[in-house]
Amino acid sequence: MGSYKQQPGASSAEIRKDGKRVAGKQSFPPPGSGGSDPSMRPRDLDFIPETVGGREPKPAGDHIHDRARTGTSVGKAMPLVDSNAKVTGQAWYGDDVRLPGELIGKILRSPHHYARIKSIDTSKVEALPGVVAVATGQDAPNRFGVLPVTKDEHAMAVEKVRHVGDLVACVAAVDEATAIEALSLFEIEWEVLEPVFDPKEGLEDHDEPIHWRGKYHLARTNVQKRVFQEFGDRSLVNNPHAASHGSWTMLGVHHGFTEPHAVVAHWDPNGRLQLYTPQQVPHYTHRALSTVLDVPMHQINVIRTFVGGGFGGKSDPFPHEMCAALLARSSGKPVRITFDREEVYWINRGRHPSHIDVKMTADEEGRISSFDIDALIDGGGFASFGHVTSYYNGVLATAPYELGSFHYTGARVWTNKPASGAMRGHGAVNTRCAVEVGLDEMAESMQVDPIDLRLANLLPPHSRTISGFRITSNGMREALERVREGSNWDEKFRQLPLGKGIGIGCGFFISGSGLPIHWDPKNFPHATVHIQVDMDGGVTVHTGAADIGQGSTTAVAQVVSEVLALPVEMIHVRSHESDTSPVDLGSYSSRVTFMNANAAIRAAIEIRDQLLNAAWQMLGYHPNVLVLNDRRIYYKHDPSIGVSYLEALHKAQEDKGALIARGAYRSPPMGGVHKGAAAGLAPAYSFSAYVAEVDVDVETGLVSCTNVWAAHDCGKALNPLAVKGQIIGSCHMGLGQVLTEKMVYGRTGHLQNANLLEYKIPSVHEMPHVEAIIVESSDPEGPFGAKEAGEGPLLPILPAVVNAVYDAIGIRLRDLPLTPDVVYNGIEKHLKKTGLEDPLDLPSPRLQHGTLQATLKARGESHRERDRLRQRSEDTSAYVNGVLFGFDPDRPLADQVEGWREADEPLPEQLAELGFAGRAWLKKEQRHMEDDA
Amino acid sequence: MVGKEHVSMIPTPKGQPWSAKVNGTPVEVLAPSNAVLLDVLRDKVGTLGVKRGCDLGTCGCCTVMINGVPKLSCLTLAGQVEGAEIITVEGLSNGAHLAPIQTCFATHGGSQCGFCTPGFLVASQALLNENDSPSRDEIATAIEGNLCRCTGYQQIIDAIEAAAAIHRGEVEGAEPASSPHPDPHPSGPEEPTMPPGHAK
Repeated sequence: MGSYKQQPGASSAEIRKDGKRVAGKQSFPPPGSGGSDPSMRPRDLDFIPETVGGREPKPAGDHIHDRARTGTSVGKAMPLVDSNAKVTGQAWYGDDVRLPGELIGKILRSPHHYARIKSIDTSKVEALPGVVAVATGQDAPNRFGVLPVTKDEHAMAVEKVRHVGDLVACVAAVDEATAIEALSLFEIEWEVLEPVFDPKEGLEDHDEPIHWRGKYHLARTNVQKRVFQEFGDRSLVNNPHAASHGSWTMLGVHHGFTEPHAVVAHWDPNGRLQLYTPQQVPHYTHRALSTVLDVPMHQINVIRTFVGGGFGGKSDPFPHEMCAALLARSSGKPVRITFDREEVYWINRGRHPSHIDVKMTADEEGRISSFDIDALIDGGGFASFGHVTSYYNGVLATAPYELGSFHYTGARVWTNKPASGAMRGHGAVNTRCAVEVGLDEMAESMQVDPIDLRLANLLPPHSRTISGFRITSNGMREALERVREGSNWDEKFRQLPLGKGIGIGCGFFISGSGLPIHWDPKNFPHATVHIQVDMDGGVTVHTGAADIGQGSTTAVAQVVSEVLALPVEMIHVRSHESDTSPVDLGSYSSRVTFMNANAAIRAAIEIRDQLLNAAWQMLGYHPNVLVLNDRRIYYKHDPSIGVSYLEALHKAQEDKGALIARGAYRSPPMGGVHKGAAAGLAPAYSFSAYVAEVDVDVETGLVSCTNVWAAHDCGKALNPLAVKGQIIGSCHMGLGQVLTEKMVYGRTGHLQNANLLEYKIPSVHEMPHVEAIIVESSDPEGPFGAKEAGEGPLLPILPAVVNAVYDAIGIRLRDLPLTPDVVYNGIEKHLKKTGLEDPLDLPSPRLQHGTLQATLKARGESHRERDRLRQRSEDTSAYVNGVLFGFDPDRPLADQVEGWREADEPLPEQLAELGFAGRAWLKKEQRHMEDDA
Repeated sequence: MVGKEHVSMIPTPKGQPWSAKVNGTPVEVLAPSNAVLLDVLRDKVGTLGVKRGCDLGTCGCCTVMINGVPKLSCLTLAGQVEGAEIITVEGLSNGAHLAPIQTCFATHGGSQCGFCTPGFLVASQALLNENDSPSRDEIATAIEGNLCRCTGYQQIIDAIEAAAAIHRGEVEGAEPASSPHPDPHPSGPEEPTMPPGHAK
């Protein structure tokens, strides 16, 4: 170990006449300064990009944030900064907030699927000793909803209840037993209405539609949103070389977070509402509370507790939050409402039960000439995020492949069931599964390897999809190649014995949504971060980013630590209160790492510049030649000349006090102009490819997944431990959807498995070994190159498993989940069709490469070099979807092909041939019906 | 119900004394005779680290050690365990000084949202008390009653394996986060390395 070397003859600092210190003539400044480790470490060159002199490889080339790298914490596996609170039981979740004098709130829920409330008599409830406050829908008639275009919820039913479990009234009492008892004393007169459960019925006209949207209502149907999108050359659909058509039924699934919803509301003596809630989107809750309670936003402080899992299920403003606030307002006391597990399923917001129909074709060169998608999704009783989901079901299938044409019809229908909403992989999961399985089927009919088919049809980096999305970084190719190699694909695919199978699936997902949900006030940033550094050297970061366990707080701490070259334990993130946090839109659309960390980097760079300027005054060297490293700022060419972090900080604080900086992020303007062009727009996209291996017991139909190779392109893994955790966790959730999880509605429309015993989340024994492979494509706009890693990794596991099941037994199954009964029914049907007796005699599918295989292989090889050059910006020519089909990217495609179409409404002649969801286009909006009349 | 006097359907008995040793400290609280242990621990004793996930014994979040055996406190009547020794997640650590299993859950990514973590910690500590060199299968069996929705279990098993190594004494456990750091360079740190590309 080297000693603490001074420069020779450096007994005291010598100052030149011009004020500059003389190199080599001053004492080394005190080491350390701040942090719990007082000694200074050399720069960790393994974590400094090679583009700025370090040793970290940068295959994708230079990045805008490379110069802010100090090798401190980005790219290093580290525990989440709040994990010590979590492992000691000190993390406080919704139900752990216990305010003195609290009342317990309970909610009266509808016993009817669909009914009008004629009257509610609460006199008996109020007379019960111990009941302190009662509220019904009449107490809060203002409507709210997460999306401003579809505000269709009330705190409690105002006129009608729309599903079993819908909120009718609420009560606050001195203890839980009294509150439960009070619920039985409401006297309600109902007028029961005819419910709708099947989304296909929802497309028809009804006497009493579940909601009424006035002149915008579609005839008298229950259609909440219909979408039509068509791009490309439709003539390519005719005379395909290969085709696939699959009709899918996917049941609803629930997020299954372990923490049930809970909320505590308290109006303090100054008349301000303090609302404690485990929320992914505290800011939207803040807005909704203000609307419903009729108080200005500044009179409300939303305090986000720790969130015991979200996955999209806690990203709506919820009616029970309004109930708690109403009860607390009228009682003057804190009110706590905690759901039991059944109530969690009544509020739902899980993945939409879907009917998806996917047709696709390929031409004689193995190019994908068309995707035709029809998605009818069951929205349940309320809109929630459904407006967006209706788009995502289609538009998120427009990449990563280059398409000749794309046609999508989607409809979201209200039914008398708990509302569906956003869930991890929002809207993209089900269609992605159908599309990837379709590709597998097409590959089989073309006698080519499905991985080679994909590799030969990928969009390159820095390109545009057929619907106009801007693709920047793209690690799809590397992901595919790495899972192929890791899984030993070439030795296993179509070569395994009966009952053993291997399958591939890919994924594509947004990394933040380009448009915020609320666009007022104008040009409002999506994320803002404040940093404050006082004389002790600790850095306080204020952000509204909601950590829901994914580690957003850690990501923010890491990027600030990286820029300021301070250990992570010196960064204190404060993110719980809307009073102290600048507005952040919340944890949805996988936006937090991208947007919040970008804002944090900007703020940290501002602090860094203040420190460097102070060091400039002290040392006389311009910031350009100063290096920030481990609590010290020194001259680049002679590290012995420098000041400690604290010295620079104190200099910078002179006469001003604590250093303060602010950073904000707003995504750049992007995308086309057609209706719905904003849906699916994102500043960056993540890509992933998985290979799954399964065992299928052909005699019982039991499928078990044994191994998964999961490659995900997250741009840059800020924290590889957290990224791997997200990948493995996504596999777990996706495996649940594809193998075991389903929300079962019986013939009478009742949810039959509203508990964790019958809603089967995979346990530790059902979990395969997951080899998490991180692909880093370094996104040009991402924070240090990072993109999302929370939702995208869920998509590929579903098709990978379904394709692996086909590889194992040679039967295409299109009903999810693949429970043993579904699989065995499929086997039995197949046996009947083929005349076989014993399932053990089933033939395993085999692959004999056709002539197209060599074409695809060669094209994939040549595209690899194309992609590399574009990724490194060595080739900066324009690339739009269609170049593969021979079009010139610099001229409008419509000028080059006669049949080129870009449409958001069907042509009259198309109406006859639309799929299930497309039939919504046979109806007219009320305003147009009036025109006709 | 109209015209009839209301009869209370849910009995709300007055509390009676209930005592046990929770995390090494004798406690005595008033609890109804039909109280569930989970409620008593959360509402009366104040160990809010014991989590309620499902109330049906399906999620494992409320796991506590009763006389050394991991049990679901939501399926245990308080009266059944009167006088027992109960360890909750709060009792695993020595105050703010973390037990090896807790440190390992943090460092190996065994905890994401953290809601299921207390249950996992208690179940795995109970395993390590019995067996300090469990195989991955034995670990899986020990935590099969616990649901985790975030991690996919893999990093949890990694964490328990790492903690077992500390229990066996093969690896040294981490110092408490609050202890002063001994100076690793008594004579000061090494001279910082020169930036690459620049001669001294």
